[in-house]
Amino acid sequence: MDILGNAMLLNGTILFTFLAFIFILTMPQKIGFVITFLSILFTSLSSSWLGIQALLYHPIEFSLQFGSFAGEVLLKIDGLSAWFILVINFTVLTGFFYGKGYLKKYEQLGNKITLHWIFFLFFHLSMLFVCMVQNGFAFLVVWEIMSLTSMLLVLFDHENPKTFKAALNYFVQMHIGVTFLTIGFIWVYHATGSFSYDALNTYFQTNRNLWLFLLFFVGFGIKAGFIPFHSWLPHAHPAAPAHISGIMSGVMVKLGIYGILRMITFLQSDFIILGEIVLSLSILSGLYGILNAAVHRDFKRMLAYCTIENIGIIGIGIGIGLMGIGNNSPLMFYLGFGGALLHVLNHSLFKSLLFYSAGSIYQQSHTLNMENLGGLIKSMPKTGALFLIGALAIGGLPPFNGFVSEFLIYNGLIEGIHTSSISQIILYVLVLAGLSIIGGLSVLTFTKAFGTIFLGQPRTTLTHKPQEVSSTMLIPQYLIIAMMLSVAFLPQFYMKIVGSHLSILHSMENDPAILNGIGKTTANISFYFLLLTGIVAATWIVRSLLIKKEHLIFGATWGCGYVAPNNRQQYTGKSFSKPLGKIFNALLIEKKEFEELKKGEIYPKGKSYISHYQDVFEYKLIKPSTDWLVQSANYFSFVQNGRIQSYVLYGIVFILALIILSILNIVS
Amino acid sequence: MLSILLNLIAALFFTGIVIRTKSKASGRKGPGIMQPIRDVYRLFRKGSVYSETTSFIFQLAPTVYFASVVMAMLVVPFGKSPGVLSFYGDFIFFAYVLALGKFFSIISALDTGSSFEGMGASREALYSMFAEPAFFILMGSLALLSGHTSFQGIFASLHIGSQISYALAALATFVLLMIAMIENSRMPIDDPKTHLELTMVHEVMILDNSGFDLGLILTAGYLKFALYGALIVNLFIGVIPYQYAIPAFFAIQFLMAVAIGLIESFMARFRMSHNPQFIVVLTSVSLLIFFGVLLILQKFV
Repeated sequence: MDILGNAMLLNGTILFTFLAFIFILTMPQKIGFVITFLSILFTSLSSSWLGIQALLYHPIEFSLQFGSFAGEVLLKIDGLSAWFILVINFTVLTGFFYGKGYLKKYEQLGNKITLHWIFFLFFHLSMLFVCMVQNGFAFLVVWEIMSLTSMLLVLFDHENPKTFKAALNYFVQMHIGVTFLTIGFIWVYHATGSFSYDALNTYFQTNRNLWLFLLFFVGFGIKAGFIPFHSWLPHAHPAAPAHISGIMSGVMVKLGIYGILRMITFLQSDFIILGEIVLSLSILSGLYGILNAAVHRDFKRMLAYCTIENIGIIGIGIGIGLMGIGNNSPLMFYLGFGGALLHVLNHSLFKSLLFYSAGSIYQQSHTLNMENLGGLIKSMPKTGALFLIGALAIGGLPPFNGFVSEFLIYNGLIEGIHTSSISQIILYVLVLAGLSIIGGLSVLTFTKAFGTIFLGQPRTTLTHKPQEVSSTMLIPQYLIIAMMLSVAFLPQFYMKIVGSHLSILHSMENDPAILNGIGKTTANISFYFLLLTGIVAATWIVRSLLIKKEHLIFGATWGCGYVAPNNRQQYTGKSFSKPLGKIFNALLIEKKEFEELKKGEIYPKGKSYISHYQDVFEYKLIKPSTDWLVQSANYFSFVQNGRIQSYVLYGIVFILALIILSILNIVS
Repeated sequence: MLSILLNLIAALFFTGIVIRTKSKASGRKGPGIMQPIRDVYRLFRKGSVYSETTSFIFQLAPTVYFASVVMAMLVVPFGKSPGVLSFYGDFIFFAYVLALGKFFSIISALDTGSSFEGMGASREALYSMFAEPAFFILMGSLALLSGHTSFQGIFASLHIGSQISYALAALATFVLLMIAMIENSRMPIDDPKTHLELTMVHEVMILDNSGFDLGLILTAGYLKFALYGALIVNLFIGVIPYQYAIPAFFAIQFLMAVAIGLIESFMARFRMSHNPQFIVVLTSVSLLIFFGVLLILQKFV
């Protein structure tokens, strides 16, 4: 298709979305839903079509008219954009179907659902355009639309004050992020006189790279959730409906990564120092995220912290890639950025899978606290299996896709050990150790979550007996698993695509031998996965042949001599991770609320004991500073006294001041 | 291929020698060296008792655990001859595939709903998490020293010549031996022969397994011992010709088994709350090795 056709197609998606918007508003809900579906399908298919073209052949470039408001905006889909576009489309489509099933019982709410799907449409469209626009100003606009619509989607359950607070928190933090980005783009505009991405290129060629990149890194890092900019994630994800959490955590957060990668494409110098900064911050994010994930009992909050961990892993890949450019090591470059991009895809798959299955649990049990659950695998076996696969994959365990990308990143680190100076070697070895701790901790985190939620006996009697969820909710999850397995067993295919587009990030001298070497290793991984599956299957077959049905006896769990155990005596998730919490008590602050027995209290009444973990950054860093801000704002409360006369006075003073200043020629 | 054969032979005798050493040390006659194998053989033919609380996870887990150990065995080399699988960064695969087995053994313990087994599972998860960085820093240092990134490449090009490298080899042996003790839940981390469930780690996790499944878990344990023994052997044999290397393999495996027996006879288990500290010490020993390697390579200016 020619350039004109591509532009038409994209104009079509916008037009279609707006038409759908009008139709959904006016039509009955049933038809509205069909239109939503058609609109999402059209947008996904057309953008995926462009994305696949860009991935397979050449970048697509065209411009769209945004009226007198922004003028002509250049759009471009190169390999990097296309990769993210495809990731977005897949997760949005699965999220849409899952959401249809998830929101089924809210369907009588009418307007709420209608609005939800309208925001959903615009959310999808804005995410796609974030990947395409080539102009700072237009980028900020679509970025803002993305943040706003996602906030409105989080607000689905707006009667709940907690949700409201989480959404506001998200809203404020996103705007702090946008402030950084705006300053960054204005900085470039000031220096070069243009908002287009080419201006960034010229800026980076002529000025120091470090500070502007760090500015953008902070702006995008708030979206991505690097520490210490992560504190919105653990609030927003539990508050949002499951499919929205899945999409936000699976793809929207990754657009922060996209932004960082896009900035890297313009970088000209300072690679080593930036690599070191990104690497250190990422390993700390990873460790901090997984440590917190290990102790939390709210399983959606646990998944949110786990997102921070995975962003850390992606960041490690980016850091290795930057070091690869700086050290002129093509192998590190390919392993680092390749691993990071593959992990973007992988994480979008298993994280959305985990959020969807967590949503299924919530829909059936109406609780997010894993201590109230237990034994769900008997009533919800399919959801249990789905969650288990997600848990194995996110821990980077073979034979699932998480291992492939983590393996590439590990290899990048080990490659780094061979090539560089002592300070770098020490950094790589520490990151290597940190990454292995992350691996070990994610085993702990997910055995705890899976064991507490699905295994053993139910800990409390739920009002509604949980049942397996509908197939509308299950089928999208099967699709995700099929996709995950394709990455796990055909990694060479994905690596080939990723590898052929890495030159966008930086033009390294292209050594085909390197790519072949990586291709061979990744091809081997799938063979080892097959072998592992084969050994498991063979052992299982031998086992089924040798075990005779008539020799099987079923009885109670061995209670070590105690014959009247009850379900509340099972090991809880809290006790499972308590030793870890104790060891890291400097980072995992446990807040306990209880009343001690008073002296002389002979007949004690019922007592309560609550303990929960607090986020160090939120409670030690962010809260004191916002508290201080609110406190100091109090001193100015006399200005806002509620009397209309004073407000008129302020106006007069302001106008007078303007007049005087202009008379004195201070302002013109 | 050679390595897998040698490992299997070593695994046949290893646990028997440990038990025999322990009984000799305590003045008993003790069972024959093949007794553990006979136990497993008997278990394989027995029926099983399953708890009604458990699900398919409980039945699947021993199989996956066993398969993960077999898979890990495939990547371990023997001197010049590579493992069945040998590739860039195979030691990462080694660690992660063992983690897969651990994941399943932990959730199978949780599947029984017993608080004792949950406690054991929690400890196992914590201890193996702390042991990971020690292994990775050790392998990273060896990779730095040898300039290779696969087990076989690393071990084949390790030259133990200078005084520092003797010290390094001793430290690396210590680290690997202790990781083997942690992974196999032996003294001084865990006491497999204790009678109180509260003080167990690994034994309490498999309280409910019986019959074929228990046999699989025990076999996997024997293989795991031989596996770590083989890693230690590899530190020393390098490119020595086979006629010396093979006897050296068995000698070192034998020494290791006797050493484990002696440690278990003359040492008490650490307090549970001290275990994490001990395991973190292993990481610092690994860091020592790392700095030793930097010294050898004259990276310090």
